[in-house]
Amino acid sequence: MDPASLVPAPDAIPVHWGWLKLFLLTTFFLHLLCMNTMLGIGIISLFKSLFGRSGASEYNREISTKLPYAIAFTVNMGVAPLLFIQVLYGQFIYTSSLLMAVYWLSITAILIIAYYSAYLHHYAFDAAGPARAVFMAITVINLLVIGFFFSNNMTMMLSPEKWVRYFSSPDGTLLNLAEPTLAPRYLHFVLSAVAMGGLFMALVWRLKADGRASACQEKVKQSLNWFLGATLLQFGVGTWWLMTLPRHIVRIFMGGSAWATALFALGLLGTILSLIFGYKVRVRLCIGATLATILCMVLMRDLLRTAMLKPYFTLSMLETDPQYGSLVLFLIFLGIGGAAIFYMLKLAFSNNPEVGS
Amino acid sequence: MNYPVWELYFSGGGLLMVVIAVVHVYVAHFAVGGGLFLVLTEMKAYREDDRAILAYVKSHTRFFLLLTMVFGGITGVGIWFTISLLSPTATSTLVHTFVFGWATEWVCFLCEIVALFLYYYRFGKIKRSSHLTIGWLYFIFAWLSLFFINGIIDFMLTPGDWLETKSFWDGFFNPSMLPALVFRTALCLFLAGIFGFVTTVFFAGPDLKNKMLGYCSRWLIFPLPVMVLSALWYLSVLPDTVKSMILEHSPEIAPALALFGGLLPVFLILALIMRLSIPARVQVVVAFACLLTGLVYMGAFEWIREAGRRPYLIYGHTYSTAVRVGEEATLYKDGILKTARWVQHRNLTPENEQKAGREIFRIACVGCHSIGGPINDILPLTVDYSMMGMQAQLNGQGKLLTYMPPFMGTGDERRALARYIVSGLHHRKETALEAGALNDIPMQPPAFDQAAAQYVLLAWKDKGMHGMTDSDRYWSFQPPGSSIYAQLVLRGETPEIMTEGVSIAYAVEEDHARPASQVEFWTFSKALTGRTIPAGTGMTGNTLDGHMQFDDNQMAFYAEHLPVVPYKNDGSFNPYPLVRLEARAEDTGELLAQTTLVTPVSTEMGCKNCHGTAWAVEGRTGIDDPTAASILAVHDRINKTNLLSSARKGRPVLCQTCHPGNLPHVRGKSEHLNLSAAMHGFHANYLGDLGDDACSACHPSSSDGATHGFRGIHREIELTCANCHFSLQDHALSLLAAEKQAGKNVRAGMLMRHLTSQAVDTPDLIAPRTAWTSQPDCLNCHVDFEPPETDQVEYGTWTETVDHLYRRRTDDAGLMCMACHGATHAIYPAMNPYGEYLNNLQPLQYQGTPYPIGSNGECRVCHTIDMEDEIHHPNMLGEFRNTR
Repeated sequence: MDPASLVPAPDAIPVHWGWLKLFLLTTFFLHLLCMNTMLGIGIISLFKSLFGRSGASEYNREISTKLPYAIAFTVNMGVAPLLFIQVLYGQFIYTSSLLMAVYWLSITAILIIAYYSAYLHHYAFDAAGPARAVFMAITVINLLVIGFFFSNNMTMMLSPEKWVRYFSSPDGTLLNLAEPTLAPRYLHFVLSAVAMGGLFMALVWRLKADGRASACQEKVKQSLNWFLGATLLQFGVGTWWLMTLPRHIVRIFMGGSAWATALFALGLLGTILSLIFGYKVRVRLCIGATLATILCMVLMRDLLRTAMLKPYFTLSMLETDPQYGSLVLFLIFLGIGGAAIFYMLKLAFSNNPEVGS
Repeated sequence: MNYPVWELYFSGGGLLMVVIAVVHVYVAHFAVGGGLFLVLTEMKAYREDDRAILAYVKSHTRFFLLLTMVFGGITGVGIWFTISLLSPTATSTLVHTFVFGWATEWVCFLCEIVALFLYYYRFGKIKRSSHLTIGWLYFIFAWLSLFFINGIIDFMLTPGDWLETKSFWDGFFNPSMLPALVFRTALCLFLAGIFGFVTTVFFAGPDLKNKMLGYCSRWLIFPLPVMVLSALWYLSVLPDTVKSMILEHSPEIAPALALFGGLLPVFLILALIMRLSIPARVQVVVAFACLLTGLVYMGAFEWIREAGRRPYLIYGHTYSTAVRVGEEATLYKDGILKTARWVQHRNLTPENEQKAGREIFRIACVGCHSIGGPINDILPLTVDYSMMGMQAQLNGQGKLLTYMPPFMGTGDERRALARYIVSGLHHRKETALEAGALNDIPMQPPAFDQAAAQYVLLAWKDKGMHGMTDSDRYWSFQPPGSSIYAQLVLRGETPEIMTEGVSIAYAVEEDHARPASQVEFWTFSKALTGRTIPAGTGMTGNTLDGHMQFDDNQMAFYAEHLPVVPYKNDGSFNPYPLVRLEARAEDTGELLAQTTLVTPVSTEMGCKNCHGTAWAVEGRTGIDDPTAASILAVHDRINKTNLLSSARKGRPVLCQTCHPGNLPHVRGKSEHLNLSAAMHGFHANYLGDLGDDACSACHPSSSDGATHGFRGIHREIELTCANCHFSLQDHALSLLAAEKQAGKNVRAGMLMRHLTSQAVDTPDLIAPRTAWTSQPDCLNCHVDFEPPETDQVEYGTWTETVDHLYRRRTDDAGLMCMACHGATHAIYPAMNPYGEYLNNLQPLQYQGTPYPIGSNGECRVCHTIDMEDEIHHPNMLGEFRNTR
């Protein structure tokens, strides 16, 4: 059976695909930041609960207050790229999601458990004592499972040649376990989460340190060690991932395409810079280099997707049925929403002589 | 047809949507109304300078945050996941049409999160006015989320001008968007009150509890009138088709509709109870009763809205089978297997029929039906169907009952799907009657001495193929009633038809002497006919033996509505009971002539093919109770009658009491379709494409059945029902056309809408036909009694009056046609597995051949000499062609 014949016909899009790609990549970048932070601080907290020495409790208390926010914003920031990817690549992601429907749908329940467990960890931090690690373990394990399902889906959507397995398992229980890139890709994301989690906590403690105790300085270093360790491991995992990619795809990043190669080089450079800044405990510079690196990775990931789907589809094949008015509506609300958030933050954190109770 | 289908079995049929969507929507509406509840209650606390209220608001906020942000937020994403898995085609349409509507809603969602976090975590830490502003902003963005999602949801029900323009704005500001928004907004406030009850009973201090419960009850009571009015407004803007689907046609919606209306007073009562001084425990119980009832109410509303879209996912655009409007013709022509993208068995063969059927089921059925699950389970819905019944159901699906889309596929695919359901899911085996099950009935016709006999007694039953219903405890439309006729001929050179001085006695054979012990017609005769009919008596008072009356016009003796049933005294099935006739001189009592005639009657009516699973008697005939009950259930469901319940209370129904028929003393209701038009019209929509098998699905004419009622010479020369009656669809169309002419436009039109004439090209050429009067005329083919040049009756040339019917006609000498040629469908020489004698009693008695009386020069049956003139009808002396 020709896999190309299985690829559903796409629907027309309302604006030029460039707009949608811009929104997809931008919001995915933001989602990635939130997701990495969320998973990373969760893993670090769990690790510290299990193996941490003195000071771990204070460290984890800080994480316990941040984690529910991180989950909320990860989910929110995940909604937008999930929307835009459906518009641009719906025929692929709907199909791959459906092939693994049981797992894909289970994400909802798993996420609710993870989320409530994070709140339990937060609210019962003192009451539960060391047993709170159980809540964090539930949260982290569930989030890792969700990540694993996402990796499966994101690789399966790129491989229509594997879709024929549907005919022997139409009940939505397929995973993409035979995919050689699955394991390194998944590990890559988990490691980057740990790195980002460490970096986020470094920032948290740095902000606290700006105001007071030198004890925070130690925590900044501890946090950066998580960043440095995970990022160094990333070289191995990244290489593994590259090696599992089809040769013709790898070549794109190795001189085959100037743009892809430049991105790859910039990504490497950013990583090295972030390591240097991290080593030197220059938190803000490290964050800057890391954000630039992640941006490069997001763009490279997009190039990878484009290349993998090229035998079946390119975005220019999409028909456009222009509805730019709706785009304007969105942009206006984006502005209003941004202004409202700014205004609310201002209200919430300006000096308040008169309090509400 | 574009995407694969998730083969859900148990959890199919929308279970996932119900579980995820209803709970999400419940919490999501609370997330909106609760926002206003928070800010207004906080203002109340400031206004009354009540710190207890403020403390309550803070506690309520935490509950609110944990419920709406975690559970509400994630299940909201869950709905997205769910709809894209269950209906990727429709989801793709929604996403591509409203991507920026959704993106805008996402911005609102982000603002909601930020606002709620700030509202909760900065409670009591910032200026009151700032805190309230954040609270107001939360509510505004939450409501805007509702605003955007509401437009998209209602688009699916009423896409309005979008169907033409494909404009985002036309789709979003669709006809039901505004009333739905008002309704949902009121519902949001209402739910805020319900959740307020729950938090009050747990979080408010004892002094505050009653005060806050009273406050919360106002949140329930005040929105109620708005909900009622906006629901009516909502309903009023729906297209008529949707409205009638919701209010009348969908069996899925009726219970939800009852809950939707019926729960409102319950809420009012519960809210008023909360205003009373009741014990704390009772308050907890009432709070949870409200919570649960609210969930049921929400579910009912969403169910009505979802099911109101049937048979579409996006009304007028995408069917619930994911077929888009405009793709139907291709599917009918090329089929599902050739058209759908995700198909393994492209070519249908007898070997892969069941497997391909499973694929078709997955593509065409799984979207709405589960297998063994709690929602829309296909198993009980199809348990009654034989292969033929299942195919008929699929053929008729979506035509009369429009909550399901039509089955869009080829006839072979329909069979494959039926095979999968009947054999694959139900493991039902079709058993044909065993060979040898039908035997010659051993008998000899009475002796006739051609040399000495003075009289010839010719006798017949007016219907050679006669169905009888034996489901009397539920319904009836063919009570026991066989009418027999006879003519006595005085033999001679110029024979004479006897009109006076003789009497003819009849007696049904002893083996059939106890009909009342076999069928329940007499038990229920009062309920069925409105009068008590004595056991063993026909509808006109005749019994199983007696004397025939004489009809001057017909110059024939007759006895109508004899209570003959096809069951012997021992309960065994015999569709050919015999009646013995004796003609005697009135003055002397001398026996002048005697003969035996057969009175075919059969309960082999194939209702069970579609409405049941089994025959009632001997595995080959009779309507069993489940089948009869099922038929009433279908009638009740479609026509909003209450017949089944009535029957179960001992009041069965005679169909002709509403649908005019031709039973004696039963008039029917003139506004209803007559029984023939209603029955043929309805069933033609289901059985219309079965060809010649369509007739034998209900009538006892099948060559595989227990009766073999169609057994005359026309059968032997391989004519079919359609040669005289046309196809079932044409037959029905003609009957309905007459009813339409009689002013029954709506009812007839509804049944005619999906029928296609095979006889004429355009509907205006359909020839109206009056039931029981306009029948095929033998002389249309046998022009001037000559051998026919065609084997197809000319369309539209029906008999004009009852007296033109074959059973009423006479020849030029006064002999009735049937006297010599036999009954309809049993024209001499007739034959079936019951044997030659049974089917040709009088020809064999009088002339020793099974051919029509007097044919092939057998004039001496009546004339004592050979004849040279064709007295009876032209071509009388021609050689009989179809000899054996």
